[in-house]
Amino acid sequence: MADEQQPTETTETEPKRGAVAALEHPGQELEHLAEEHLPPGVTEPAPGLLPGEVRPHPSPLKYVVIALVLVVITAAEVWVSYLEDVIPNGMIIVLLLLFGVLKFSMVAAWYMHLRTDKPIFRNFFVLGVVAAVSLYFVVLLTLHVLD
Amino acid sequence: MAIEHATEHAPAPVHGGPDPHATSTGVTNMKLAMWMFLSSDCLFFGAFISAYLLYRGRSEEPPFPEDVYNIPFTSVTSFILLMSSLTMVLSLAAIQRGDYRRLRIWLMATALFGATFIAGQVFEFTEFYREGLTPSTNLFGSTFFVLTGLHGAHVTGGIIWLLSLWGLASQGRLTSADSEKVEVAGLYWHFVDVVWIVIFTVVYLIPE
Repeated sequence: MADEQQPTETTETEPKRGAVAALEHPGQELEHLAEEHLPPGVTEPAPGLLPGEVRPHPSPLKYVVIALVLVVITAAEVWVSYLEDVIPNGMIIVLLLLFGVLKFSMVAAWYMHLRTDKPIFRNFFVLGVVAAVSLYFVVLLTLHVLD
Repeated sequence: MAIEHATEHAPAPVHGGPDPHATSTGVTNMKLAMWMFLSSDCLFFGAFISAYLLYRGRSEEPPFPEDVYNIPFTSVTSFILLMSSLTMVLSLAAIQRGDYRRLRIWLMATALFGATFIAGQVFEFTEFYREGLTPSTNLFGSTFFVLTGLHGAHVTGGIIWLLSLWGLASQGRLTSADSEKVEVAGLYWHFVDVVWIVIFTVVYLIPE
């Protein structure tokens, strides 16, 4: 009897972790171990949420509104590109780049769900974009393309 | 004895319990892998956009961009690709709701919009060829066809992916539990869209 109770007392005072605990108490410890190593919300996302989501996705109506805004910006882009004789080229380039960045950000934030997903996705994507822009900006600067 | 006992029970999670495929990053591998791929693809497309900018205005032989570009036509194809992004997110919303009929409709609409964009690109390339612009004509032709052609190849890959998902959905093999598969395909599709946003602005609209 004393032999049977001894391991239980040891577990309560000094809880064993890792493989040792898993081997000694398979039924209970494995579940416990899995839970304690997982960030909250990973194993069982809230109802209606996909894995990696922090907040629910926008409604279909909001998606349509965003598409309309994107169409309006595209129309404005094309209109500005025809104003070569009206405003200086430098101004046209700045406006077109601004419109492009705005459209890019809207699609990435809303349609690719970077607004509502875990920041790790945003960090990866921003890393790629910043790396590409920085690298090729330096290349083009070195080759006097942007002079 | 204890080891045997543990081995028998270890792999089987309790129903509704912890996910055995959960990762230390806190997100699923499939989605993270797609974002890493997209991140690296930024550098891929950045190289070809930079090559285009590097040789911009340095062609000695015509035709030049202003001789061949048809901005109204390319604006329409850009609009179509933008609309395909809308139908893509609507298909994701549909599968999350369990509305499989609309899922099939929006997936097919996205694939058709993509195919229309590709058809427009083929038409554009054919017109350029008739006007004497080929990849070997001048620096503009080389960099333009490589950049837009690679983008077109990405779109074509996306169309095949979407049609595969549509096929699965039609057979009832794509359920709400597979929402992440549609989301990952959507990430790829939207990325192709944002790359076109950059190409349309930098290659077609910005004056030399």
